[in-house]
Amino acid sequence: MIEIKNISQSYSRRGRKKTLKNINFVVPEKAITAMVGANGAGKSTLLGVMANIVPAQAGEVLLAGEDITKIKPSDVAKKIAFLRQTQQLSVKITINDLVEYGRFPHCGGRLQEIDKQKVEEALGYMNLLDLRDCYLNELSGGQRQRAFIAMVLAQDTPYIFLDEPLNNLDIKYSVEMMKTIRMMVDELGKTVIVVLHDINFAAAYANYVVAMKDGEIVQEGKQEEIISKGVLDTVFDHDFNIVRHDGRSVCLYFDYKL
Amino acid sequence: MEVTNKKPGFRNQMTAFSVMAALLILGVVLYIFARTYVKAWRLGVEMSRQAFDQILGRSVPALVGMAIAAVVIAVVSLLFQTMTESKVLTPSMIGFDAVFIGVQTMLLFFFGSTSVLFQNSYVNFLISAGAMVVISLLMYSAILRKSKNNMIFLLMFGLVLSGIVGNGARYLQTIMTNYEFFQLQAAIHVTVNNMNTSIIFLVLPIMVLLIVVILARHRTYNVLILGGAQAKGLGVAYEKELHRNLILVAIGMSVATALIGSLTFLGLLAVNLARMLLKTHRHLPLFIGSAVIAALALIMGQGVVELLEGAIPVTVIINLIGCSYLFYFILKENKKF
Repeated sequence: MIEIKNISQSYSRRGRKKTLKNINFVVPEKAITAMVGANGAGKSTLLGVMANIVPAQAGEVLLAGEDITKIKPSDVAKKIAFLRQTQQLSVKITINDLVEYGRFPHCGGRLQEIDKQKVEEALGYMNLLDLRDCYLNELSGGQRQRAFIAMVLAQDTPYIFLDEPLNNLDIKYSVEMMKTIRMMVDELGKTVIVVLHDINFAAAYANYVVAMKDGEIVQEGKQEEIISKGVLDTVFDHDFNIVRHDGRSVCLYFDYKL
Repeated sequence: MEVTNKKPGFRNQMTAFSVMAALLILGVVLYIFARTYVKAWRLGVEMSRQAFDQILGRSVPALVGMAIAAVVIAVVSLLFQTMTESKVLTPSMIGFDAVFIGVQTMLLFFFGSTSVLFQNSYVNFLISAGAMVVISLLMYSAILRKSKNNMIFLLMFGLVLSGIVGNGARYLQTIMTNYEFFQLQAAIHVTVNNMNTSIIFLVLPIMVLLIVVILARHRTYNVLILGGAQAKGLGVAYEKELHRNLILVAIGMSVATALIGSLTFLGLLAVNLARMLLKTHRHLPLFIGSAVIAALALIMGQGVVELLEGAIPVTVIINLIGCSYLFYFILKENKKF
């Protein structure tokens, strides 16, 4: 269980401008939780703090009841896999090598049989077995993102945190990616938290939604409760129009009137 | 499902290593040959067994010094590139050389040429090394932590640091006495030909230890190429690692600079050539490859220089080639740079 207690965070030295204000939150298990909100709402920062990538300035993150900052980094990495927004790497690296690095918390880079097996499974799960010897920079955006997800899967953790995994992906690959994340929860029993920019992907695939604004959680709850005009209008400061399609909500946020 | 053990390009790597090793041996032979038989032939005298042994006795420390300094420079440069997530930076570009000269100048100026701080090679070495470690930590807290990946900023910092320290040193040099100035020249103009052999017994164990410490962690460095945040996600204590490695880099650079002077482009050249030849991002083969290439370049280069009766210093050749390579590299990778 991951529990966030009174987390506050600020970038400026005197703490005047807070990026996170007194956040309390319990991660829903074995479900997709989407974090949504405008730019600068603090979604990525919160995700980083939860995975102990960014040290918490005030408050604490409890992983199975234990303060996460007191746990050995490699032990945290056996429980939580964190994937940052993809960036260009400065070196050429093959998919296979990348996925093998997912095993680092378990084996420190010395791959044992079990590690090799997990790498095979992850590659197989993401349909990358044929591409394993390709270099990342030779791949399409979708394939590259799949490779990173495979690395996260190889890490074999109950919790998976993804920071804007749909960034730079076109529609086809975005949908594919969300379906994969859905499968990770439904088939592999993972707990996934994902920062999303497009509210409709949250509406379509997430179980829970955390809506953030100005460093605070405005509202959190089941997807059906959050994807509503009342909540979204406040969170995004915008006039939303929610329609129902095939039993799910779809947000229309385009303003036709000129 | 079949679990493959094959690593792509392994066969090529072995070939590359063999060729490099062979060339290295050739370089050593060339160096000794140039210093003995060629020299004797040029002077028109017979090479006696005794003279040969004598020259060999003098060549061995020079060879060891060159080899170990080259290895340290290569290893430290690769580590630095990994930590800064860049392929064109080397520690000397951040102004380490200038700091070495600056420290020497200040020691001499403020404590005098007879001071133990300046005269005792061990004390002197420890002070310069300490200063470089401090500078690198300052650099870490001031720059790397806040604007990592910001190469322009890092290079600017190096430029400004070199400028300030260099000019400060030059100012002190102009107002010091002639005698002190010559003393200083002798101390800061350590080159491959004029190696500071007095500290070799202090430096050798440090260097060997340093190389062992760095090589032992090659698996962690592999993960670091994914970037700080991602490495942390994989359980690397990144801040600690960054701190530690920058200190190692600073120690390595100060040791190498104190022993054979500054070789700005050797590390850059060796590391990138190793990358090109070995086609891998893994640190163990790259460490070994770049170390061998650096040693090869220095020893073979020095051998050629001896053959040419020292017409050009080997550092000039290496810097010329390294510099052209850097140009080529920047132009080629322009988009990424």
